[in-house]
Amino acid sequence: MSIKKNDLPGRSKPLIFIIMGFLLVLIFILDLFLGSVNIRPAEVIRAIFRDTGSDIETIVMQFRLPKAITSVFVGIALSLSGLQMQTIFRNPLAGPYILGVSSGASLGVAIVILGFSSGLVLSGLQGFGNWILVISAWAGAGAVMMLIMFISSRLRDIMTILILGIMLASGLTAIVSIMQYFSSESMLKAYVIWTMGSLGNLSSGQLNVLVISVSTGIFISILSIKRLNALLLGENYAGSMGLNVKASRTIVFVCTSILAGSVTAFCGPIGFIGIAVPHIVRNIFKTSDHAILVPGSILAGGIVMTASDIVSQLPGSESVLPINSVTSLIGIPVVIWIILRNRNNSVLF
Amino acid sequence: MRANGISLFVVLLAFTISCNNRKDNNPADKQSSVTSSDSKAERFSIEKNDSCTILTIIDPWQGAEGVRHVYYLTERGKTSSIKADASHIIPVPVRKIICMSSTHIAMISALGEMESISGISGTDYIYNTALKLKADDGLISEIGYDSGINSEMILKLNPDLIMMYGIGSESAGYVGKISELGIKIMYNADYLETDPLGKAEWIKVFGALYGKEKLADSIYNAISKSYNDIKSYISENTVTRPAVLLGLPFRDTWFISPGNSYISTLISDAGGTYLWQDTKSSASMPFSLETVYMKSLGADYWLNAGTVSSKREIASFDPRLEKIPCYISGEIYNNTKRTSPGGGNDYWESGTLNPQIILSDIASILHPGILGDYELYYYMKIE
Repeated sequence: MSIKKNDLPGRSKPLIFIIMGFLLVLIFILDLFLGSVNIRPAEVIRAIFRDTGSDIETIVMQFRLPKAITSVFVGIALSLSGLQMQTIFRNPLAGPYILGVSSGASLGVAIVILGFSSGLVLSGLQGFGNWILVISAWAGAGAVMMLIMFISSRLRDIMTILILGIMLASGLTAIVSIMQYFSSESMLKAYVIWTMGSLGNLSSGQLNVLVISVSTGIFISILSIKRLNALLLGENYAGSMGLNVKASRTIVFVCTSILAGSVTAFCGPIGFIGIAVPHIVRNIFKTSDHAILVPGSILAGGIVMTASDIVSQLPGSESVLPINSVTSLIGIPVVIWIILRNRNNSVLF
Repeated sequence: MRANGISLFVVLLAFTISCNNRKDNNPADKQSSVTSSDSKAERFSIEKNDSCTILTIIDPWQGAEGVRHVYYLTERGKTSSIKADASHIIPVPVRKIICMSSTHIAMISALGEMESISGISGTDYIYNTALKLKADDGLISEIGYDSGINSEMILKLNPDLIMMYGIGSESAGYVGKISELGIKIMYNADYLETDPLGKAEWIKVFGALYGKEKLADSIYNAISKSYNDIKSYISENTVTRPAVLLGLPFRDTWFISPGNSYISTLISDAGGTYLWQDTKSSASMPFSLETVYMKSLGADYWLNAGTVSSKREIASFDPRLEKIPCYISGEIYNNTKRTSPGGGNDYWESGTLNPQIILSDIASILHPGILGDYELYYYMKIE
């Protein structure tokens, strides 16, 4: 375990960043042009730049633009939180959800969709629409992270926290399974669809909340670069270098819960991106330096998520695929290819 | 012309309702009945021979292909010489039944056999007042849902038959356990029928099970005549065919009923055009919100928008839905007028046996005034 730097010639890194930046912009624009409804590129451009009030404009500005922005921010949030979790646990299998953030959110949503599906609670909350799902998911994720942080403040060993986190996640999943078991078919379907994730359901107010919370997470991540590099050396060593290990952990956990928690709340538990993108970035840059990995994950996360969104819309057909399946189906071959090409992955940890 | 049509309709309606309430145990009722060639139902067939009635249930769950469940209905008390699996020989009339779907309730009570119902899946959702009272008094037991089914309760009730509501092979697991214990099971596929009359025709299955074939036939014939009369009256007296949007999106996916569905047939018979009339599928199709939004711009009416009771609720799911023309014009109707406090919806209960009323509802929504001052029965306007 050491920080590995400068495997690539000094000049190629900025070049890769420029290419990735260009790719992100390109894919973002492509996401506006491609969708289930066939719209000519000229009309899309007119809809963006002119206030025509046409139906095409509604499609582009109300449906596609918010969805593309959501995709970019979701990709960034999941990649960054995955990266930090992998670093703090020094485990390549760690991801944003390893400590039960998504299980907590799922329980919150399951209580709303499955638990009170027939009771008075939901009808009492009518009018809140999808905000109620967002709030319940956030409450669930927040409660789990508070618990983890409480445990973390009392325990010295990070591996114990990891194991407890996984246990907690499994426990919550078991509770959700019981609720699924007893729920009616239609409610079960509603819940299952939530777990498949969706990017295109955010109202403008919700999009603002997502953008603000993810930006906060990005900001904290950038501030944490030095700390993350130190943690990569192991907590004992980082401690001996003068790093406040428990405080650093707490900062990483807070950052991850803001990032992964808000994504899960608004878009459902979108899998795979958080585990895969940090590996892709490490392999592209051949480094474990967070000064490279953090901006790299921001760009790569946005690219992969937005590309997945384009595929999930199956341009030209009326049907759509669930985003969660697309991220896995596109991502798995990419990761396998990268991992196999670079047979010495443990060097990057 | 119009006045004649209305009075004809009212007479037929009254006749159907009176049939529904008729309690008839006349032995002459037990005459031979065979599903005729003009049958609308595609999921069952009935044949009669000297020793028994052969009831075949065809592809009883979504996605089933080439599945045939053959039952031999023999006269109770007589020893039969049929060589078949004992679980498929059912002595009739059935005296004690468990229903896994509320649609079965309506058909059984139309035959005057409500007393035979000993257990129901989802007693909370019963709309029928008399039955709901019995369930509340504990005279009808709750059986549970799907995999949460209460096998011990079923054993205790020991019914002559369980009328299943097939949800596919995954449910076959626990079904196997129950049938292993000697309890007879029949899958009911009425919910898969794509023709509204085909759905109602399932009363003939219950007719055969209760030895009331003739009554079942007469109820079905009355429904069928009434439905067809209304249908031809509508087609003769309408010029336009308003476009209809159905359902509500779930997050950014809108599950669209295909054009070969039950509701699509009703819309077409009621003189409307369903936006996805030309599609064909055995299940609802996941479409992107932008596709449906684009198409919804051409809709005149919006029906079956989930279970919402107000426009505000629709907007709370997704504010972009407020831009759909039907939302602006307020032409949104839901089939939730007859909903019990527990959440049971009579549209799914008695509606199965009243396609002619549903047809009249939709027709008078799409063509205001075509049935005079007809008052909506299952549908209501969403304000």
